[in-house]
Amino acid sequence: MSTRHSSRAWIYGYIAVCVVMLALPLFVSDGYLLNKFARYIIFGILSLALCLSWGYAGILNLGQAVSFGLGSYCMAMALKLRTIPIQTGGGVPDFMSWNNVKTLPWFWEPFHSYAFAIFAGMAVPAILAFLLGWFVFRARVTGVYVAIITLAMLVVVNLLIIDAQSYTGGFNGITDLTTLKLFGIAFDAYSKATYYLAAFSLIAALLIGLAIIKSKTGLVMQAIRDDEMRVRYFGYDVAHYQNFAFCVSAAIAGFAGMLYTLVMEFASPTFLNVSISLSIVIWCAVGGRASLLGAALGAIVVTGVQGSLSDSPKFLDTWMLIMGALFIAVVLFLPKGLVSLIDIFEQRFRKQAAGGGGPLTPTALPAAAPAASELRQDEVG
Amino acid sequence: MPLLDLKGVRVEFSGFVALSDLDFAVEKGELRCLIGPNGAGKTTALDVICGKVQAVAGRVVYAGHDIGRLQEHQVSRLGIARKFQVPSVFRELSVRNNLDVAYSKRPGVFRNLGNWRRADVDDGLAKLAEFVGLKEQFNQSAGALSHGQTQWLEIAMLLAQDAELILMDEPTAGMTAQETHKTAELLNRLKGRHTIVVVEHDMGFIKEVADVISVMHQGRLLAEGTVAEIERHPEVKSAYLGSGGIHGA
Repeated sequence: MSTRHSSRAWIYGYIAVCVVMLALPLFVSDGYLLNKFARYIIFGILSLALCLSWGYAGILNLGQAVSFGLGSYCMAMALKLRTIPIQTGGGVPDFMSWNNVKTLPWFWEPFHSYAFAIFAGMAVPAILAFLLGWFVFRARVTGVYVAIITLAMLVVVNLLIIDAQSYTGGFNGITDLTTLKLFGIAFDAYSKATYYLAAFSLIAALLIGLAIIKSKTGLVMQAIRDDEMRVRYFGYDVAHYQNFAFCVSAAIAGFAGMLYTLVMEFASPTFLNVSISLSIVIWCAVGGRASLLGAALGAIVVTGVQGSLSDSPKFLDTWMLIMGALFIAVVLFLPKGLVSLIDIFEQRFRKQAAGGGGPLTPTALPAAAPAASELRQDEVG
Repeated sequence: MPLLDLKGVRVEFSGFVALSDLDFAVEKGELRCLIGPNGAGKTTALDVICGKVQAVAGRVVYAGHDIGRLQEHQVSRLGIARKFQVPSVFRELSVRNNLDVAYSKRPGVFRNLGNWRRADVDDGLAKLAEFVGLKEQFNQSAGALSHGQTQWLEIAMLLAQDAELILMDEPTAGMTAQETHKTAELLNRLKGRHTIVVVEHDMGFIKEVADVISVMHQGRLLAEGTVAEIERHPEVKSAYLGSGGIHGA
């Protein structure tokens, strides 16, 4: 498992994805297309976030869209506040004045600051995940029950946002936003700048994810996925590890949500509905849930194919059918997802290179038991 | 003062009394065998020590700490390791990574976040794998190991964990005579360095390793003594009545 990521084919895979992603704007100048690709990349980040909790720690979070949506709303609130004097002539955002809200609610106040908004876009989902995780993982809830609880959470938050129309815009969400300007760069939805922001964010998320799964914390997460009970007897507080994975995943999903607001130019309760949440699971499974790169690619490929099929008039009636067939094919023939192709190709290649028999490894006689003190010395160092 | 001291421990599973008033003490550095007919409560005794089940009455004291109410990971951090009857390793992880998980001197999430795989730890783990004959399989996934190899991997994991007190539930289950002998040798080598409590059925194995045997029957301690004393003990004989005596258990 751990050797696979260090193998050469995987390093090439990571590099290839990054290069293709960064080079794309050199060949595509159409703003509409760039916007579409940026959206796919953002879904890639979202899928990668689920991979951290589901693929590596075994927590199937069906409420991933909560984090995504909350991040999206945080960004939208900050962008909306900047439109106040132009759209309504002072006081509150337009939709609030339509709802007879005269003064800005307290929780909108800090969003005058972009820095706070960007922080909140990750912190709010992470804190919510932490609180939920604290109860769920302390109580040793596992497996399908976690999925049900997170799904229920999603429905609750979604309803709350729709219900609090005067503060959140209700069904309409938050629309008519200004363009984000940071460090003198305007992140217009159809610009290269926004595309690059999404692309670099995916690369950063990949690096952060890799840093976690390559650390011992990541190893313990995988051990928990395998046999949660056994891990406890080695002195690890399993609930801490699960909650860590859950929160990091939520923060990354929140960040993806903020980017999504930039690309879509609005925030909507549909960003945190059940169908997005389930889609994330499908992306992850199709790409390969045991690999960060796989999960990200899964999202890009699935949403990409989906987008081009549903756009073309030829497949207007049949594209859902084709997608369904694709999922079934992947589940049947590549249960570890599309990225397992990398492993299969690498094994083929190795066999050819080795030309049949590999070199014999000399078998050494068993040495004396390494004294516990030897390991202890490592510990000090 | 004994390292481990159980006093009047009582464990119930929805009305069924698994342990009733169990007194059991182990000195530091001792290798103690725990035997008894089926259903005597041997495994439950280990469970109550390592925090898997909690006693409804009585005290479990380890090195001066009352551990009766602690969770599994807290017990483990005090220096108690557990091997289960069914070998449980992380099947999707490599042998190396199994050992790395077991090597858990610093169990915190954030401390381990900065802990990338270091070559010197790798060295120690490789030696351990070699010691239990899993050198070739070091980078293979543990799911591909045979039953005997899995048992050995779990024993190596206990060594990596390097606990003061090791609780083993039938370590030789499913092993060949040769493997059993090898296990006995290993335990003899660990004697003195670690305190070990072994639940076993195999009298040949017990004779090879044990100084003192504790016999359990119906949730309480029946007798304690050397192998010879236990074999002569009249109550032990009657406890095993019908199952062919102590050797047939």
